Amino acid sequence: MTDTSIQMIVNGQARQFDSDSSRTLLSVLREDLGLTGTKDGCSQGDCGACVVLVDGQPVNSCMVLAPQVRESEVLTVEGLAVNGDFHPLQRAFSETWAFQCGFCTPGMLLSCYALLVSNSEPSREEILTAISGNFCRCTGYQAVVKAVEQAASELREMSGGGDRP
Amino acid sequence: MKEAVNKDTGAVGQWIPATGAEDIVTGAARYCPDIDLPGILTGKLLYSPHARARIRKLDVTAARNMEGVFAVLTHKDVPGENNYLYSQPDQPLLVIDEVRFQGDAVAAVAARDEATADAALQAIEVEYDVLDGIFDPLEAMKDGAEQLVSGEDNVLVSQLYRIGDVASALDSADVIVENTYHTQWAEHAFLETEGSVALVDEEGVLTVYSSCQAPHRDRLQIARSLGMPESMVRVITPYIGGAFGGKDEAHVQMHAALLAVAAGRPVRLIRGRRESILTHVKRHPMSVHCITAATREGRLLAVKARAIADAGPYHNATHEVLNKFGEFIGGPYTVQNLEVELIGVRTNNPISGAFRGFGAPQAAFVYESQMDDLARKLEMDPLELRLLNGVETGTKMYTGVVVREGQAMKASLQKAAQKIGWENRDQQQREPAPHLRRGWGMATILKGSGLGRGLGDHAGVVLEMHQDGSVVLLSGAADMGQGIVTILAQMAADRLGVPMSSVRAVRADTSRAPDAGASCASRQCMVSGNAVLAAADSIRDALLSVAAGKTKISKDRLDLRNGSLLIDGEPHELTIRELARRALFWGYPLHAESKYHFEYPEDVPPGKYRFSQEVFQFCTQVAQVLVDIETGQVTVERLIAVHDAGKMINPGGVYGQIEGGCAQGIGYALTEELVVSEGHTLNPSLENYVIPMALDIPEMEMDVLEIPEPIGAPLGAKGIAESPIIPTAPAIRNAILDATGKPLYRLPMNAERVLASLKS
Repeated sequence: MTDTSIQMIVNGQARQFDSDSSRTLLSVLREDLGLTGTKDGCSQGDCGACVVLVDGQPVNSCMVLAPQVRESEVLTVEGLAVNGDFHPLQRAFSETWAFQCGFCTPGMLLSCYALLVSNSEPSREEILTAISGNFCRCTGYQAVVKAVEQAASELREMSGGGDRP
Repeated sequence: MKEAVNKDTGAVGQWIPATGAEDIVTGAARYCPDIDLPGILTGKLLYSPHARARIRKLDVTAARNMEGVFAVLTHKDVPGENNYLYSQPDQPLLVIDEVRFQGDAVAAVAARDEATADAALQAIEVEYDVLDGIFDPLEAMKDGAEQLVSGEDNVLVSQLYRIGDVASALDSADVIVENTYHTQWAEHAFLETEGSVALVDEEGVLTVYSSCQAPHRDRLQIARSLGMPESMVRVITPYIGGAFGGKDEAHVQMHAALLAVAAGRPVRLIRGRRESILTHVKRHPMSVHCITAATREGRLLAVKARAIADAGPYHNATHEVLNKFGEFIGGPYTVQNLEVELIGVRTNNPISGAFRGFGAPQAAFVYESQMDDLARKLEMDPLELRLLNGVETGTKMYTGVVVREGQAMKASLQKAAQKIGWENRDQQQREPAPHLRRGWGMATILKGSGLGRGLGDHAGVVLEMHQDGSVVLLSGAADMGQGIVTILAQMAADRLGVPMSSVRAVRADTSRAPDAGASCASRQCMVSGNAVLAAADSIRDALLSVAAGKTKISKDRLDLRNGSLLIDGEPHELTIRELARRALFWGYPLHAESKYHFEYPEDVPPGKYRFSQEVFQFCTQVAQVLVDIETGQVTVERLIAVHDAGKMINPGGVYGQIEGGCAQGIGYALTEELVVSEGHTLNPSLENYVIPMALDIPEMEMDVLEIPEPIGAPLGAKGIAESPIIPTAPAIRNAILDATGKPLYRLPMNAERVLASLKS
C-alpha cells in the first residue's frame, strides 16, 4: 500500500483507490468510482449540488480533499435505495415534484437525509435550515419542505422496524 | 395542493411524478458531465480576459506539441461558418481578430484530462492590444461615437410603434405619471452549466449530446460550422439541468464537435461556473422612460415609453426581446393609445439575450410600478384601478390582437386579493416594531404563450403502439426540467386509454424525433401537445375501427380507458393490447407522425405588432413585505400567486413552475445583479451573485385557475412557464412603496437602494 492509497466505505462497500492529495472527494467519487449521481454545480462550495454525507455529516464534496476522508464512511445518492427499495425521501421527492431539472436533487436528498437521522419530526424552519446550503433554481424550496414532511411522517410510522433513520 | 391519483380516469390532470423521476432520485439520471466514453477527452475554451482588444498574435504551436493534447483549434480550423446563428450570425465561435467582450472564445483544446487541458490553455500564446471599449449605451448611441464594429451603427435595433393618438391623449389627460426605470443584468444560474459531449459514431455520424433548449437548431448550427450535411449530425438531449432561456442559443456544442472531429476521439466540454456566468447571455439591462396618462376617474388614456437596452457586443436576441417588451408595455389593460420606442445598443458589456419572460419582466416592472404611482396620485385603490382598466375576453388590445380568453385577468386579481385579505389589510399591524414597516403590493401581468405570428410556430411528434399495447413517444422538444416529456406522455396515455407506465417518452434525439422547435416562449405544451393529441387520435381511430369490426358496434359508442375497450362507458373484455395485436395483424397503422401549426389569425392590420402572441398567461401576485427602515433590508413575508393554466395537465409541474418562478422573481427584485465595471464582471460566482436560498423565501400561497383556452391549446391547456417570474418584482416594489411611502425605480431593490430611498 502506497501513501497515496485511500480506503473508505462508500455506500456500505469498502473501496480503495490511489489519489494524489490535491484531488477532491467529488472528483474521486465521480471519476474513480463512477458515482456520477453527485453533481458539480460550482466547484467552490456555493451551491450544495455535491453534498454527500461523510460519517453522517453533510459536506460539500467539492471542498473536501480525498485524503481527508481516509477511513470514513461516505453516503451518496446512489446509496439511498437499498436493494432497489427506495428511501421514503426518494419517493416523497418524486411524488411532490420537489425538483424539476433534478440537478440539485442528489445533494438536497443527502442534506435532508442527515436532518431526518437526527430529527424525526422537523419543523418547516428546521427543514429550510437543513437545505440552506442547497441551491435550487427550478422549483424553489417549498416543495422540498413538503417532501421532507411526508417522508418524516412515513418514517415515524415505520419506526421500530428497520435500521433507517 | 396535492391530489390523489384517481386510477379510474385518464392520466391528464393527475398529479403524478415526472417521467424520469426515479432516475433523478437515485442518481442514475445522466447529464452531459456524467457521460463517459472510452477514450473521452476533456475539452476547454480559452476566453478573452479583456472586454475589448485586438489580437496581435495567436500561436498555438507549443500547446499542440504538448503530450496528451489531441487538438488545439483557432478560427482557422473552423471548416464551415465560424459563428452563432440566433438571429444574425455576428458572434464568432472562435474570434478572428478582435475580442468584443469577456465571453469571447479565441481557442479550443482537447486533452487527455482536465489538468492537461488547463496546461494547454496556458501554453497558447496570445497577445492583445487592449482597446478602449464603450460600456455606456448612451455613449455608444451618440453621433460620432466610435463604431464598435467598423462600418456598422452601434444602434442595433431602433423601432417606433405608434398606435392611436398619444399626443391628444396626453393633452386631454387629468393625471400623468412620468418616471425613469432601470433594470439590471440578470443571470439564469441554471444549476448544470452549459455542456456538450461529441463523438463520431461507427456510421460516421457526428453525434452530439447537448444541454440545450433547441436540439434541431443545434443540429443545423453544428452542421453549418463543421461544413457537414445535417444528415450526418445527430443531437441527443440527455438530462438537462435547467436552462431558463440561457441555453436557447447553442453554446459549446459546435466547439465540442469541432474538437471531436479534429482529435478523432470523443470530447466532453463543460463550462465551469465562472466561464458560464461570463459567457452566456444575460437578461437585458434596460433604462425605460415611461409616461402613463389617465382620466381623474382612473381610466387609462395613453402609455408612452422609450426603452434603451444594452445588447452587449452582438445581436443575439436583442431585437426579439425588445419586440416583446414593446408588445407588453401596455400591460393587461385596455389602453388604446400607445407609443413605444425600442432601442438596442451595442457595447462591450456582457451579451444580452433570452431569459424567462423575454422582455416582459422589464416591461412589467415599469407598467405595474406606473399603475401604483398612478393609484397614489388618484388616491385610488390599486386593485380598483387595475380592475377598472383590465382587458376581458374580446378586448381588442393596442397590439391589434383580440383577447380570445381573458377572464383570468380580473379573476386572478380578485382571487389574489381575497387570499391576502386585501380589503382588510389596513387592520393589520403596519409598524410591528419601531424600526419595521409592513406593506402590501400587487402586480398583474400578461405574457403570450407561443412564438408569435410569422415565426414558424410548429412542432412534430411520432407516436407508435406495439402489439403488446406499449407506446413509444418521440418528441423533439427538449426537456430541461420543465416537464414537457411528462405532460406529452400524459396526453398520449389519456387519448389511447393506456396507463402512463405503458408510454415510453424518449428524450429529444434528432435522429429519431421530428423537429419541435425550441423549448422557449412557454410554447411546447401547446404546439407539441396538440401534435401528440393528433397522433394519438390517429392510432386511437385505428384501434376503434378494429373494435367496431369485432363487436359490430359503431365507433361513436366506443371508447378506450384503463387498458380496455369501453362500450357505452362500460368496460368490455377486449383489451387495448388485444386490439393492438389485431390491428397490427390486419395491417392497420399504429404508427403516426403529426405536425401541428399554431393558429394565428391573419387579420391584423399592417403596421401593428407583426410578431404578436395570441394566447395569454394572465396572473396576479401579491406581496406582503417587512422593511427594516434602519438597514433597508426587505423581507417578503407572504407571496400570493394566482395563475391561469387553462387546464393543468400535471398540477405537480404547474405548481413547480410557479414556485420556482416566484423564487427567481424574488431574486430579480431584491438581490440579483451582475456587477459590471468597464465590461468586466465583478461577481461571476454563485457566492457573489446572490440568488434566493431556502431561508430567503416566504411561504408561497399558490392558486391555479383553469379557464380553458379556446384555440390552439390542447384540452384547454396553455403554457405558463414564463409568467411566474414576471409580476414578482413589481408586486414587491409596490409593497415597499406601501410600507415606506417611497417609490423605487431601479432593480434590484437591495438594502442600499431602499435605505437611500428612505433618506431622500
